[in-house]
Amino acid sequence: MTRQWTGPEVAAIAERLVPGSVDRSTPVACYLRPEKLVEAMGALQAAGETDFVHLTNLCGVDFWDHFEVVYHVQSFVQNAIACIKADVLDRERPALPSVCPVWRGAWMQECETYDLFGIRFEGHPNLHRILLWDGYPGWPLRKDFLSMPGGLQPGLDEFSGTKRRLPPPVKVVE
Amino acid sequence: MSIWPEERLDHVDTEGFHTVDMTINVGPQHPATHGVFRMLLTVDGELVTACRPYIGYLHRGLEKLSELNDYRQAMGFWDRTDYLAGLLCEQAYCMAVEKLADIEVPERAEYIRVMLSELSRINSHFMFLGAFGADVGSFGTSFTYAWRERERIYDLIEEVSGDRMFPTYCRPGGVTMDLPENFEKRCREVLGHIYQGIDDLDGLLTGNEIFVERCRALSPLTTERAINLGVTGPVLRSTGLAWDLRKAEPYSVYPHLKFDIPVGLRGDVFDRYMVRLAEMYQSARIVEQCLEQLPGGPFLNPNLPKNLRIDDAEAYVRIEGTKGEYGVYALAKGGNKAYRMKLRSPSFCNLSALSEMVVGHYVADAIIILGSLDIVLGEVDK
Repeated sequence: MTRQWTGPEVAAIAERLVPGSVDRSTPVACYLRPEKLVEAMGALQAAGETDFVHLTNLCGVDFWDHFEVVYHVQSFVQNAIACIKADVLDRERPALPSVCPVWRGAWMQECETYDLFGIRFEGHPNLHRILLWDGYPGWPLRKDFLSMPGGLQPGLDEFSGTKRRLPPPVKVVE
Repeated sequence: MSIWPEERLDHVDTEGFHTVDMTINVGPQHPATHGVFRMLLTVDGELVTACRPYIGYLHRGLEKLSELNDYRQAMGFWDRTDYLAGLLCEQAYCMAVEKLADIEVPERAEYIRVMLSELSRINSHFMFLGAFGADVGSFGTSFTYAWRERERIYDLIEEVSGDRMFPTYCRPGGVTMDLPENFEKRCREVLGHIYQGIDDLDGLLTGNEIFVERCRALSPLTTERAINLGVTGPVLRSTGLAWDLRKAEPYSVYPHLKFDIPVGLRGDVFDRYMVRLAEMYQSARIVEQCLEQLPGGPFLNPNLPKNLRIDDAEAYVRIEGTKGEYGVYALAKGGNKAYRMKLRSPSFCNLSALSEMVVGHYVADAIIILGSLDIVLGEVDK
């Protein structure tokens, strides 16, 4: 059976490998600081005790006032999975370092998170809107998307489809 | 200069001969892309030097729809992701909701789910064999052979659930209705056809030397590279790593079932094909065991609340989908709707390896390499 790493276990190892990288930890997840994210992820990948060689899942979550990016990483040899998170506090210009240098396969999931949440991944080789087209108004998976330009009018979201969408603005600001 | 091409070629100085790279657009409407997928190939002569995949033509906003509809309503969207094996996606979604809400599932329902999921897996792999054979060049024959078996499985699924491709048969807490009375007889009949169909395709494709020569040693992946690229499923197993979530993280009733994990040796296109072919036999074995072990009892948890409301909970549930690890990250924060539902779709993650895998190969081989990844665009685009 797969072993689930708890947050404090991962936090203890990450703090030992890269001092100052852990922000806090909950029973489920370990929160890393954005400025040491890539370094800590690389150390966790290379260390034999954690051996997080495979990035399974990468996704963003919108909490109205800030974002979280969730990484699920796993080890095949130890058959263990861990949940690592990072806070993105700036809602106006959300950004996080890219983990593509650590796991090359992360580039598409990071593009997807950028596409749907607007979180920029710095250091990403080719960050673009992957599912929607360039110039799509707004970021669909944000919680306030329905009141964005191009979304439904505020207050009408419970009966979606009853009112026409507002036309998108002529000048599209990313 | 002569007008004859052979003599003209003699005049070409190979040292100072500069060529310009050309870009070729494959798709989005192209039979080799298995759906609405587009890739931009940069070619130098016949060799691919760069590849850029473009996806999103089938984007339906699954994750937003799952946030806007309640748990019961949102289930119908999920079998539209991997539309060749809809029941697997339903199972994953229901398992995520069950884990969030701590719902117990009766054992009979688990067996029914596993049985139909494995039939769906066979179905999806049949489609792979047919379409892959068409990619390599046996157009028509392999496709129609695979289509014949696929229709038999779809008929069986329709008899059980009422729909062929999108059954919406699972529910959080079980399945929506019991199996029909003659199910065992019909299922054994279909299984006989399946074994025959696998043998037919095995003889048609594996017994064809042109097919084998075309696929062998093409675009081999090492295990380390595959892991770093985030690849899962049969593509990862073809590199020699026996990683199957049904064994590694046995969910549902898989601990009670006996089956093997087929692995490849070199991770080339031929191994990916052979792994899927061998997996179909194992899936058929699982269905047979489920028929023997199928217990009685309720098929739906009788103590389900009418309106499912879940307080703070978080879960990452994954199952072995037909293309790899099919994961659902679910976050609930009260109310009858999910706060966040993320699909970790295996086709999407496998596709991130494509641009590295096709570089250095011929254009015709790039199509085969794409086919060997076995993407399904409903799952890629969500």
